[in-house]
Amino acid sequence: MVGTKKTALALLTAAVAILILVTPQFTAMHTADTINKGPGVTAVKMLSDYFAGLKNTPGDTAVYVLDSGKPGGTALVVGGTHPNEPSGYIGAILLVEKARPTKGKLIVIPQANASGFTHNDYSEGSPQRFALTTPGGERWFRYGSRATNPVHQWPDPDIYVHAASGQKLSGSETRNLNRAYPGRPDGTLTEQIAYGIVELISREKVNLAIDLHEASPEYPVINALVFHERAMDVAAIAALDLEMEKIKIGLEPSPKTLRGLSHREWGDATGAMAVLMETANPAQGRLRGATNEALVLTGQDRMYERAAKLGRLFIPYDKNGQPLSLRVARHVTATMVLIRDSFEKDPRQAVVVTGVPSYREIVTKGVGAFL
Amino acid sequence: MITVVYRLIVVVVAVLVVWELFSQKEIKWQANAALVLIPLVLRAFMLV
Repeated sequence: MVGTKKTALALLTAAVAILILVTPQFTAMHTADTINKGPGVTAVKMLSDYFAGLKNTPGDTAVYVLDSGKPGGTALVVGGTHPNEPSGYIGAILLVEKARPTKGKLIVIPQANASGFTHNDYSEGSPQRFALTTPGGERWFRYGSRATNPVHQWPDPDIYVHAASGQKLSGSETRNLNRAYPGRPDGTLTEQIAYGIVELISREKVNLAIDLHEASPEYPVINALVFHERAMDVAAIAALDLEMEKIKIGLEPSPKTLRGLSHREWGDATGAMAVLMETANPAQGRLRGATNEALVLTGQDRMYERAAKLGRLFIPYDKNGQPLSLRVARHVTATMVLIRDSFEKDPRQAVVVTGVPSYREIVTKGVGAFL
Repeated sequence: MITVVYRLIVVVVAVLVVWELFSQKEIKWQANAALVLIPLVLRAFMLV
């Protein structure tokens, strides 16, 4: 067909119309999720309070302090290191909104990589957000990307060299917060966020630091607890205690040669016992079918059912899938058990947390009932 | 600074694509230019 000035103008108008249509969808990703201050929250700080270089950057994020006012230890829970792993940040938000420490201090960072919440991974077809039914009505949360937004940090190098070790990884890992620890004050935005978190752990004299994650069901390290060597005893006892409650969890030592990860670098760079936990999120997996809000919430996928029947998965998987409520229940319960067990040796350093719903309550009523 | 230079390059490329859109004599190439323009404008405004 012959193109004329009129057809060119019509096509330009169509392009502008598409731009007007899609722009609000992208800008909506920059609107912050609502996180309510629970009864235990005594202060809301920013990560830039620990590293001023983050002030007024997309890497700054809220730090919730739940201080009992009574002497004891300090526990840190970090969610949202990877914003496409929702059980981690929803679990952390649940702690902010429900936990009431009666001894010691609990610090929670629900959205560690705030920049990662402002976009999706390309070519993944992930939903931009998902809704939970709560007593106050429908509540939306963003489903972000594994990495910092390239709009905030670019360009990616061909090879990412971990500054502290010289370890080489693929270029896109330069925006992965969990490859950036211990971070650098003059590094990339992701390295600066990592540096801020390590500064927080040091300054707050955190005894126990927990990083909440998810991985695909075909990944071997899922429903697992990855521990720094100084946290080995605590992790082992916690795994046994969880087993008593019929919650199976694997134990994985943090590899000394795999650098940049929280369970390695937090433990090496600070005095904290560092632990990372993984649940199974089919929405991240390579075998999944349609990637939508339902998959994020229910974790039900026919392809994963088939894979389980063929013995290709590392977790039990049936038609009930891996619902978000189950995954959050695992994280929250394991966090509570770790906090309890980690201070048994020295009760003066104990952190006692009340008000958090049990595993059974979260699974049966759904996580939305507590938000 | 590098971001400013990058965005300027993106704007220049977007202008050239609009020029191309009006220069092409076949509608399929005009449509092609219109499609290319969308991500360029989104990137120029750093929306994606």
